[in-house]
Amino acid sequence: MTKTIIKAKGKSISRRSALQLAGATAALTFPAPFINRAYAREVLYVNTWGGPWEEAAQKHLFEPFMKETGVEIKTVSPVSFAKLAAQVKTGVYEFDVTTLGDSDIVRANEAGIIEDASKAPLDQSKLWPGAVFQNGVGSHAFATLISYRKDKFPNGGPQTWADFFNPQKFPGTRCLQRHAGRVLAIALLADGVAPDKLYPMDLDRAFKALERIKPHLRVWWTQGPQSGQLLRDGEVDMIGIWQTYPVRLIREKQPVEMIWNQALLDRAYWVVSKGSPRAELAWKFVQSAIRPERISKFALENVYGPLNPKAFDFVSAEDAKLMPTSPDNIKKVVIQDTTKASDQLQEASKQFERWISR
Amino acid sequence: MAQVGGIVAQSRSGRTAAWLLLLPALAFLAVFFLIPLGQVLYFSVMDPKFTLHHYAAFFTDDFYWRVLFGTFRTAAIVTVFCLLLSYPLSYAIVRLGGGFATVMLLIVAMSFWTSFLVRTFAWMVILGNNGPLRGILSALGWTPAPELLFTRFSSTLAMVHLLIPFMVLALYSVMKKIDHNVVRAAISLGATPFEAFRRIFLPLSAPGIVNGCTLVFIMCLGFYVTPVLLGSPREQMIAGLIGTQIEEFLEFGEASATAVILLCVTMTVFAIYNRFVGLDKLWG
Repeated sequence: MTKTIIKAKGKSISRRSALQLAGATAALTFPAPFINRAYAREVLYVNTWGGPWEEAAQKHLFEPFMKETGVEIKTVSPVSFAKLAAQVKTGVYEFDVTTLGDSDIVRANEAGIIEDASKAPLDQSKLWPGAVFQNGVGSHAFATLISYRKDKFPNGGPQTWADFFNPQKFPGTRCLQRHAGRVLAIALLADGVAPDKLYPMDLDRAFKALERIKPHLRVWWTQGPQSGQLLRDGEVDMIGIWQTYPVRLIREKQPVEMIWNQALLDRAYWVVSKGSPRAELAWKFVQSAIRPERISKFALENVYGPLNPKAFDFVSAEDAKLMPTSPDNIKKVVIQDTTKASDQLQEASKQFERWISR
Repeated sequence: MAQVGGIVAQSRSGRTAAWLLLLPALAFLAVFFLIPLGQVLYFSVMDPKFTLHHYAAFFTDDFYWRVLFGTFRTAAIVTVFCLLLSYPLSYAIVRLGGGFATVMLLIVAMSFWTSFLVRTFAWMVILGNNGPLRGILSALGWTPAPELLFTRFSSTLAMVHLLIPFMVLALYSVMKKIDHNVVRAAISLGATPFEAFRRIFLPLSAPGIVNGCTLVFIMCLGFYVTPVLLGSPREQMIAGLIGTQIEEFLEFGEASATAVILLCVTMTVFAIYNRFVGLDKLWG
């Protein structure tokens, strides 16, 4: 019953106010089937990263799906691993679908908080080899890369993570994402660990490397749009950031440079929240979101790299060059193999949080 | 006799009416406060069987002690600065009265009515690297001006600003009731104005000081968003820690235990206050 009320309330938000009142009353007084008839339009709740990500998803993934199926998509942001876990525990679902990066999907699958993709009603003929990973369906690749303010480094800023971790050579304030999985991998790269030897991670070595720049880490970013703002406002001189933001800032002619070299590649996977009452609809959405013509347009907007190989039929050779998965960039980026780190990520995150506040 | 019985019945029905009036608020608090609170308590000791290890972990780990101590220290510093800034202001409002008092109280109230979040973001703009404050500092010749945002200074400054209205209102409500003739009498009997203030006005305004400090201190113990957004990453407040325990680690048990400890600490401060002053006086 609780679920029903929440569902009905969610639906009524977009209606006119007269209906809102009626909806709320109906939810409280009538049994569930009645409400479903009164509001023929189904709703799917999608968890998004907010900012430019959501703008692009709205235009190229959500709207076509809504038009095609008549289902209404409502968004919740930002992506929250904790909420994903909490809703499985409480049975009250704030969202049905979300995307997770390489290290988080391993954690989520380990914790059993996402639906089994092998039992999902997915059209296997539309999938490609490796499309399903840890019960998620591959969507797009993004990268955590070095970006710096050109006004602070007119003669060129840090070109590698080793430079980023060298405050003598490149003095200035730094910022990284408050995300153990990514930051510890970056610290190891900075300390000279070969990309294929990253996992399992040597945590002591990673923290020792981080110690070198600790006094220069002014702030940690937690949400994508915040990282873009910090760079735009010049609050920090260099930052480890998703490519989306410097790409936009460069388009806006801000004095910002981005470095593809050693960019840490993450793949985002669509996952369905375990036990969601709208799981079937959620998988239907996932199926539509990986369609090559849609994912290619979505990816182009913020230069993500679509994981569906067919998507490149819809991308010009020139545009493809900018993507993290382009033949040129893929040689420079570092691909994570987080499955080897599955049993150490939770503990590493704890150690990382303590290290920050020490 | 019949009349007395009528009065008794009336007062009894009056009491029933009073309880009935209380009912909506009680029901609301029970559903939205007491039940969730009970759940937090439950989570803190059941994992999944009864255990006290979340509490044991908290008290045997110096990391938590440091956070708890840091939270207390921040709350104490903020309280002291709030008092130092609010006392002269409230005194001036009471003494000068008239239009000045109206305008000042309106300014305080306006800041009281603006959301914490909005004011926190305003501080981000003011203290930012390209913000006005740093611009003024460099114009005055301090180059390069120090970076202000994401420091202990910035979060303390903002918390003082956010909590000043509580302190001012607590002080003002007590000071307003002080009969100034007592101070005048002291002066007429040979006390210097300062002595009269120190020995007469200050002790009379003490309840306001205690009220204001208790309010500010307790609110500060639970501050979350301001230290997270403005403070240095090393400066961890206990509410922020609870947020991380849930957001990052999904440690509901650990987070619940920390929340219960924060609640106990807050209740202790209230209990001390209640013992010496009385809770009913808290709002003037």
